[in-house]
Amino acid sequence: MTVLELVRETPPPVVTPPRKDRTDFTIAVGLTTLVLALLAWNITGFPTASDDEGTYLAQAWAVQNGQGLAHYTYWYDHPPLAWIQLAAFSWLPAWVAPSLLAVAAGRIAMLPLQAAGLLLVYVVGRRIGLPRWAAAVGLLTYGLSPLFLTMGRQIYLDSFAVVWILAALALALSPRKHLWHYAAAGAAAAIGVLSKETILVILPAVLVAMWQNTARSTTRPWAFGAFASGLVLVGCFYPLYALLRGELFPGEGHVSLFGAIQFQLGSRSGSGSIFAAGSGANELLHSWLYYDSVLLVAGSVATVAGLFLRRLRPVTVAGAILIAVALRPGGYLPAMYVVQVLPFFAIAIAGVLAFVFARISAWGKPAPDATGSTGARARRWATPAAAALALVLVAVVVAPRWYIGDRRALTANDNAAYVEAAHYLRAQPPSTVVVDDVLWLDCVNAGYPSDRVIWFYKLDLDSEVAARLPGGWRDVDYIVSTPAVRQDPGTLPTVTALLRNSTVIASFGPADGLIEIRRVNKESA
Amino acid sequence: MALAAVIMILVSLVLAVFAAVTLWWTMHAWRTPETLAGTRFAPPDGEQHLTFSLLLPARHEKAVLEHTVERLLRSTHEAFEIIIIVGHDDPETAEVAHRVAATAPARILVVTDHNEQKNKPRALNTALPYVRGDVVGVFDAEDQVHPLLLEHVDHAFRATGADVVQGGVQLINFHSSWYSLHNCLEYFFWFRSRLHLHAKKGFIPLGGNTVFVRADVLREANGWDGTCLAEDCDLGVRLSSRGKKVIVAYDSTIVTREETPHSVGALLKQRTRWHQGFLQVLRKGEWRRLPTWRARMLARYTLTSPFLQAFSGVVIPVGVAIAIWAQLPVFVALITFLPVLPMAATLMFQIVGLHDFGQQYDLRIRWHHYLKLVLGSFPYALVLSTAALRAVWREYTGRRNWELTAHVGAHLPAAPQKVAA
Repeated sequence: MTVLELVRETPPPVVTPPRKDRTDFTIAVGLTTLVLALLAWNITGFPTASDDEGTYLAQAWAVQNGQGLAHYTYWYDHPPLAWIQLAAFSWLPAWVAPSLLAVAAGRIAMLPLQAAGLLLVYVVGRRIGLPRWAAAVGLLTYGLSPLFLTMGRQIYLDSFAVVWILAALALALSPRKHLWHYAAAGAAAAIGVLSKETILVILPAVLVAMWQNTARSTTRPWAFGAFASGLVLVGCFYPLYALLRGELFPGEGHVSLFGAIQFQLGSRSGSGSIFAAGSGANELLHSWLYYDSVLLVAGSVATVAGLFLRRLRPVTVAGAILIAVALRPGGYLPAMYVVQVLPFFAIAIAGVLAFVFARISAWGKPAPDATGSTGARARRWATPAAAALALVLVAVVVAPRWYIGDRRALTANDNAAYVEAAHYLRAQPPSTVVVDDVLWLDCVNAGYPSDRVIWFYKLDLDSEVAARLPGGWRDVDYIVSTPAVRQDPGTLPTVTALLRNSTVIASFGPADGLIEIRRVNKESA
Repeated sequence: MALAAVIMILVSLVLAVFAAVTLWWTMHAWRTPETLAGTRFAPPDGEQHLTFSLLLPARHEKAVLEHTVERLLRSTHEAFEIIIIVGHDDPETAEVAHRVAATAPARILVVTDHNEQKNKPRALNTALPYVRGDVVGVFDAEDQVHPLLLEHVDHAFRATGADVVQGGVQLINFHSSWYSLHNCLEYFFWFRSRLHLHAKKGFIPLGGNTVFVRADVLREANGWDGTCLAEDCDLGVRLSSRGKKVIVAYDSTIVTREETPHSVGALLKQRTRWHQGFLQVLRKGEWRRLPTWRARMLARYTLTSPFLQAFSGVVIPVGVAIAIWAQLPVFVALITFLPVLPMAATLMFQIVGLHDFGQQYDLRIRWHHYLKLVLGSFPYALVLSTAALRAVWREYTGRRNWELTAHVGAHLPAAPQKVAA
């Protein structure tokens, strides 16, 4: 301890700096471009526009148009940062290609985000010590999975959250161990949580990454102080917003943040056990497996195995927590939950592969005194043999499955009915119309007053909307019946009344995805 | 209302940037493990080549002077002399000085300052002609100097070719009162981290003691400015402007230990003096001669920052209160919270710093100290702000006399009882 400390560092040696190695950059950007091209190809045609996509896009529209965080009363269902970010981009495709279905155009705005996510998968892979080939495998495993090519296109909050958590991980693994990188990691984690609150559960993974990265470092307490500052200070803006609006605590006649949290944690009905046949969670699992069983199965195995490998732990802890949360009995499991899982599974697979190959090649290196013996000769072939085996496995097991899924993503045209319906609605004079969330923005863009285009479930669930229609369902001119509107028959009385007292004037699409424009018969009893 | 909102937003943004930059610089040493390691320096080689003249101005310091000199005499370095400077109107301190000088006549010289207006720079200038050593060191009468310090400084001068070595100073009595905790941490962050940045950037306001300057460099610079209230800062600025090499030699084991002012009033006076001194240095404009634009900007920023800091310490909480209760538009209200981010982060780092401080100095930090730290930060900011306003007022009305900080010896292990008796 009896050393003097002083400021002057030794002057930098006057050698020309080594040329910057751009290999990583080239690999990551090249592969990302490839995946992004696949992601963009047919992004408007597949998959079918979902109600949630319409919801978030419409809320982004509300942000763009200065209507607050939603065009209905914002009730703290989700923190708003994801669609605030979406709002920053989604106007551009809508402006360039106004003829597209609004949701389809909105999907284009997801591409920069997904590009960042792909690059971050590579960066995180490198920063947990993977060789280049393994980091590239991680990126491709993530990017080429049919699940990613399907859900990665859709406008989901989870995509925002997971990209920000990946950024937090990458920053927490900063090779320079820079104090402000840790602060930025905290801020990125907070942005992730404020994009989709459920990502909160994998914060321990970021802490593990920081803990490992600051091991034997003189600055560890400072690093955690910086992280906590970033996380708390950015994160507190959300409750602060609620506080400033007087909506932090539940009370008479207004929504509240804590009220919403209570609802999400307590009142929301669960999806059943993932193991019970026929439960919602089980069906969901099968639909995910339908898209990509390879990544989910191999990823789960690699995640569990990777828990025993120190360097992989930041990633596998995240994967393991997500698995545990999905397996908890009786919890609510949303369809896009898997979006959060994919990158961590992909990196875990790459990491375990890298570990196995490192072991094999270490074993395959002949001892210096044993060259020429038969054992050594056999060992020399170990690495090439393992690589060949892996390639065969990829060609036989992975490629055919992914080919089917990816081809579907690149060719299917599942949104034709929606596009036709949107065109039809655009041609109509503005009226009071009840639609699902997907078509809402198309109507508003077509000139319908935004307060006279009504999300169908708000009729029965939002008293403010009901107040706008003193005559009840008779004040509605048209209802557009889509699968989403018909999903839970009988639960929404006004919607049921509208469907009963209306006649079809136009219909689009096949029977299972039928979209009907129905005129309301105001005279009927 | 719209104008008020615009003003709120602008003020908030400026304060946020200011607080963020200050935080960034304050955390300099801990930026990366490399920066922290980069501030280390090889231990002394056991050789002694330089001779030291240690100046010890003492004014109404009879309670602590003897102890300080005794400790200085325990120094392991062979070649040093102590010059105690006493005022001609302060017979009590002079009596103590002469008594301790008699114990080591070869080492200690007592010089009497006959200036009508007494202050520290004038006392130091009085002693300068008597200096025989290669290096002049300055200490305060209440300093607890480590016996190994001179050997370290000797080596630091030789190993780096520096003109000035600033040693570490640390207030230790963090437990004495709520404000002393903050005061100690201020020193900790300043000497452990921030000063390193200043030395690196070529602009350094030196500290008031444990500062060592080559005697020839000091004579060339005509010693200290007898009219300046922050003669230490001024000297640092002048030497920096002349391109002199300044290094910071810091280690928790050999820092000079000091005590915090014994009352809030004393703290207020001390701060007023420093702030006013900073203002004087700013007005003198020596810093304009700094070689680079960046160094000049750093100088301007550093010399004005006590005022900005004082201002923001009060304005930010007030702005937040307005934001919550004045029914501002939510967006504007959120913006007014921006400066709170770096401010709260600063507090967070102070908590970590307090922990680190406890470890470095082997002090037991209890939970209630952390609590005091958090609860005390706004009142402390209020004290600093008051001092800043006082400084501006005094400078404006031309009151430039020296308000002395009295010392009771709270940092000395046995001293408090002695004083109480």
